[in-house]
Amino acid sequence: MSDERGAGRESAPPLVVMEHITKRFPGVVANDDVSLELRPGEVHALIGENGAGKSTLMRILYGMYPASEGRILLEGEEVSISSPRVALQHGIGMVHQHFVLVDPFTVTENVILGDEGSVILDMETAHQKVADLAQTYGFQVRPSAVIEDLSVGEEQRVEILKALYRGVEVLILDEPTAVLTPLEAKDLFTNLRRLRDDGKAIVFISHKLDEVLAIADRITVLRRGTVVGETTPAEASKAKLAEMMVGRPVLFRLEKPDVEIGEPILEVEGLLGEGKLNGIGLQVRAREILGVAGVEGNGQKELAEALIGLRKSAAGTIRLAGTDITGWPVADIRNAGVAFIPEDRHEQGLVLSMTLWENAVLGREDDPPFSGRTGFLFIERIKEMAKRLVKLFDVRARSINVAASTLSGGNQQKLVLARELDTSPKLLIASQPTRGLDVGAIEFVWRQILDQKKEGRGVLLISAELDEIYALSDRIVTIYEGRITGEYAPDAPPEEIGVGMLGAADTAEAS
Amino acid sequence: MSTGDATLPAPRALPPWLESAVAQGLALLAAFAIAVGVGSLIITLYGENPLTVYSAMLSFAFKDITSIGTVLSIATPLIFAALAVSVCFKGGLFNIGVEGQFLVGMVTASWAALTFDFLPGLLHLVAVLLFACLGGMVYAAVPGVLKVTTGAHEVVTTIMMNGIAVSIVAYALNGPLKFTEAPPGQNVDLRTDIFEPSALVPDLGHLFGMGGSAHLSWLFPIAIVASAIVWFLFRRMRLGYEARVVGSSAGSARAGGIAIGGVQIKLFLISGALAGMIGMQQVLGERGALVQNYEAQLGFTGIAVAFLGQNNPIGIVFAAVLWAILSRGETALQLGTNLPREFVIILQGILIFSVVVVYQIAKRRLARRELQRAGAEVGLRDTATPEDEAPREA
Repeated sequence: MSDERGAGRESAPPLVVMEHITKRFPGVVANDDVSLELRPGEVHALIGENGAGKSTLMRILYGMYPASEGRILLEGEEVSISSPRVALQHGIGMVHQHFVLVDPFTVTENVILGDEGSVILDMETAHQKVADLAQTYGFQVRPSAVIEDLSVGEEQRVEILKALYRGVEVLILDEPTAVLTPLEAKDLFTNLRRLRDDGKAIVFISHKLDEVLAIADRITVLRRGTVVGETTPAEASKAKLAEMMVGRPVLFRLEKPDVEIGEPILEVEGLLGEGKLNGIGLQVRAREILGVAGVEGNGQKELAEALIGLRKSAAGTIRLAGTDITGWPVADIRNAGVAFIPEDRHEQGLVLSMTLWENAVLGREDDPPFSGRTGFLFIERIKEMAKRLVKLFDVRARSINVAASTLSGGNQQKLVLARELDTSPKLLIASQPTRGLDVGAIEFVWRQILDQKKEGRGVLLISAELDEIYALSDRIVTIYEGRITGEYAPDAPPEEIGVGMLGAADTAEAS
Repeated sequence: MSTGDATLPAPRALPPWLESAVAQGLALLAAFAIAVGVGSLIITLYGENPLTVYSAMLSFAFKDITSIGTVLSIATPLIFAALAVSVCFKGGLFNIGVEGQFLVGMVTASWAALTFDFLPGLLHLVAVLLFACLGGMVYAAVPGVLKVTTGAHEVVTTIMMNGIAVSIVAYALNGPLKFTEAPPGQNVDLRTDIFEPSALVPDLGHLFGMGGSAHLSWLFPIAIVASAIVWFLFRRMRLGYEARVVGSSAGSARAGGIAIGGVQIKLFLISGALAGMIGMQQVLGERGALVQNYEAQLGFTGIAVAFLGQNNPIGIVFAAVLWAILSRGETALQLGTNLPREFVIILQGILIFSVVVVYQIAKRRLARRELQRAGAEVGLRDTATPEDEAPREA
């Protein structure tokens, strides 16, 4: 792998130099005297926790924010980049985490959008140009395909093509793998290497350390708005990078509590529903964490939603500690002892515009301590409870009266976790529980999930991150196209689990 | 970090609710100032002096105690209407049907007034008001149930039901509720029989020395109580809490186990009951009968007033009074100036428009202050950074 790395062209003069950049927002210094050099022919990883200032720095380079102090040199000359349009004219392009494509348009139409040339469109030439570009860099995407028919990975390629079409020399990718399956990420890396070898400078923003070590030529680590170090994959290790990011050593493997696994808590048989669930069967026992591994979109979301009662299943049974809870409404399933950490905490976990204490009582507002029979809320008791939870889970907030939207992702997730675990559930359904969190917060969430075992609870962990599955699970199953395709010991090699994630084990079983 | 903090003013230590109330008040004042400013421009274009026009409007509204009473009696139905709109809106429902619910409420109340005339004293009035609410509730329940069971959008169904409501009033006046005792030989407008005095809401104005033309009745304090109840519902009661969750994030409500359909139907019922009260001022406070040329459109005005009051029950009371002052100004314009009476409508429109703009600005400022605090006090970049707030794409 390392032999594939770019030369970095040490001798070549840097393409972009950002000097002493400081960016202040009200109350926050997002970048504090940051300097950065980008050389042609390198993949430069920019890593750091959420809020460390990575995206801000790159948005300054892309002309989305003006810097408060500092200057930007382009091939030795100072430039003022006042808007993304100017940035593109200077050959600087950025691909955001959230794509901005017009769904009913074709690839070519999207690529030329905003750079159509003359009044009368010459689609033939544009088409050819896009096809040539794709060919040159090995992008597998048809120029005539319509965006809405494409996968996420393909859409990302179109975004990159958009930048290349405008002739960029510097390509900024903001957390490009956050939306990709492992396979798609691999394809992306192949594409990026081609671009690098062609002499482009690529900025790769991420907090996934394995990927950074795999693709980067140089790594700059940001913490709290300042550069804490620059290194290369050869010199660095995952542990070292994590320590630089967080400022203290981080454990990637937490010790699993040594408890004896008990009676079945959750028993699912033949769960069918809406084409996404094709006969799921699984079992979670007390003091056990069952990891459900799989490439996203194989029915994980539907499974979690069916178990908590958000989705009606067409057939099959769900039993909780022996009681058949199939088809029960959400409130009853929750009262029976199921807690739920949704994969999208903004959509299904929190009400961002409401306060922390109001969020802390969500789903429990009709429980006796929090409201009376007549329908009055006991605000003081709710606030007491919220204060206790915020303290217990170290949710960092000014007070419980601020809106949930003012919290960082990690603190938001802590709040969800605190609320869900405070109900003393029998079963915890944790769906992608550390999505979008930084290393420090991940460690906290993992510890909490592991601690559930000591409480005698069962945990169904659904995750697309194999790391997470390994770190927490006592038993692993793979899910593929809405079926469980295999069961594995917690120390099974990744290749073996990978087979199940692609459904092969299931075919073997069937034949 | 230290360089940044030094340039920042120390965050003030006002309690958040007070700060937000002060900000809302200031925002409303600013919006009003803009509206007055733009209005001045239009007045000048008409060749009139803005100062004389405004002072004519104001002095007409406040020229004596009777005039003030008139303003409050104009505000009374608007408070009920805006509350009705806001109750649904808090739960994410757009009840355009307040108009129809108010019309049906007038019909059921009139029926009750004529039917229960044997009830003694206050009981008669209570029965009439009860039926006003009941009529509004039944009429609001229809779109509510349709929404929950079939997913029919409430905007579409309520608009259609508004049309039906107009016909219901016409039918009632031509049929079952048509007067039986018209004075012989006189041409009388179509109306119901005159209600017994026991069905009418007693006058309040005379206690303060207002003339009878003010028509200020006990409905005004009832409207104030209603807004207090609505405030209490949303701040202190489970239903109000759940409604706000449903209105802000349906997904989180569902995942939390809140029965969204049940909450929505309850909101429609409460909204309908409030809407039923809108017509009582004219039927029971002024005319003593349901007449053919009743004052319509109050339900729609309620949408504007609710907006002006930012769906806040207290804000709505002030917004309704403000609206009433402007409406009363119409008469002043006709008496003292050459401006067309429609100028008031223009002024009300500009007011709404500037409220949109000013509230948005105020909201952003508040959010910024919140971030500033979060950053300064926790001392962490770990709290939300502006990059989370900033638009994703330029």
